[in-house]
Amino acid sequence: MKATTATSPDSRVSPMLVRLADERATGALLRDHGTLYLSEGRVVHAESPTAPGIDTLLTTGGRLPRDGWQRAVDEAGARREVGRFLVDSGRIGGGELEICHLGALYDAAFFALAPGSGPTRFRYGVAHWIGPVRPVSAAAVERETRRRRELLDQVWPYPAVDTAPVTPRPPAPGQSLTRRQRALLELADGVRTPAAIAWALGRPAFHTLLEVRRLAAAGLVDTPPEPPPDARPARPVLPAWIGEITADPDIALLRRLRDALEASL
Amino acid sequence: MPGIDACLHEIMALPGARGAAIVDWTSGLALGTAGESPNGDHETTATETAELARAAAEYPAFARDAERARPPAEPTAGEAKGPPVEDLIVTTRTGYHVLRFVETTFDSSVFLHLWLDRDTGNLALARLRLQQLAERLVLA
Repeated sequence: MKATTATSPDSRVSPMLVRLADERATGALLRDHGTLYLSEGRVVHAESPTAPGIDTLLTTGGRLPRDGWQRAVDEAGARREVGRFLVDSGRIGGGELEICHLGALYDAAFFALAPGSGPTRFRYGVAHWIGPVRPVSAAAVERETRRRRELLDQVWPYPAVDTAPVTPRPPAPGQSLTRRQRALLELADGVRTPAAIAWALGRPAFHTLLEVRRLAAAGLVDTPPEPPPDARPARPVLPAWIGEITADPDIALLRRLRDALEASL
Repeated sequence: MPGIDACLHEIMALPGARGAAIVDWTSGLALGTAGESPNGDHETTATETAELARAAAEYPAFARDAERARPPAEPTAGEAKGPPVEDLIVTTRTGYHVLRFVETTFDSSVFLHLWLDRDTGNLALARLRLQQLAERLVLA
């Protein structure tokens, strides 16, 4: 398994990400399953419709009241400093924010960089409203994404469990569940997928996938049969957030327009 | 309210500290590292220590012990989240490894790892300091 992953063309997670990091680009890297935000070539944030965002992680467990989060976005969102505002206003510790933010960043990046997720575009100059928290190198994001893929397959090489509704199976005599597994399985109602459970728990989606694969390996969750390769949906439908991103004005274009208008006056 | 780097900096100020890291034990990701790594590679060390931390955090032998010690009348909200184990100490011929779990109020699985020289390090001091730093790391 190790040998094939090291030599396959897939071992480069995203050649475009590497190139953008080399040219120290700033902007948003848009893919079908998520967005990576770069600042001078370093990854400052990532979002994916699969992965719960930092707002969900912080508010679901009760760390931040929902309105406290909303106030931070209202007050500091426009100047793209929500992260710093949360710390400066005493709503959250600096370390806690960094831990939570890094967790959300690597989690969303894992899904955003999923293989075969369609065309990749880059919008120069776009910044995220969370602002700088703890930028990481693109190489670190690539390496971690690759490691996570291998980790899932080492635990239980059946990717069908990642997207199917989680169906618990009764524990064998002598088998026990951990507290975190119990919390996860209590939400497994035969409808929720691992990602839906992650949102409900306020826990990173990859962590939930990994836990579900561990549970499946232990026989505590059903492993659905793998679909034959040609039966998989060829292209996923475009997620709704693409509309939101493209509605965002292109700052560089607006500046050029303003300069041109001013010059003609 | 120190961030990750300030926290690692303070850990490395302990006498005999050789290396330190903040690691997520579910995924094995190092969120931050400082100093040397016993493997020469902080990422590898993080995945190894994460396996150890996960075992300690999840095996019923340790979890049940902590649940029994708690008075049943007080199932406080905070305690329902954090791992039942406070720290782990591994003694090798040349050093100590202290793994200190960090309790956050959101759902996380993070610990501090300190690699301490056996001759120049002070294990009791390091344990206390890691406890303080783990608490301060998440303080608003």
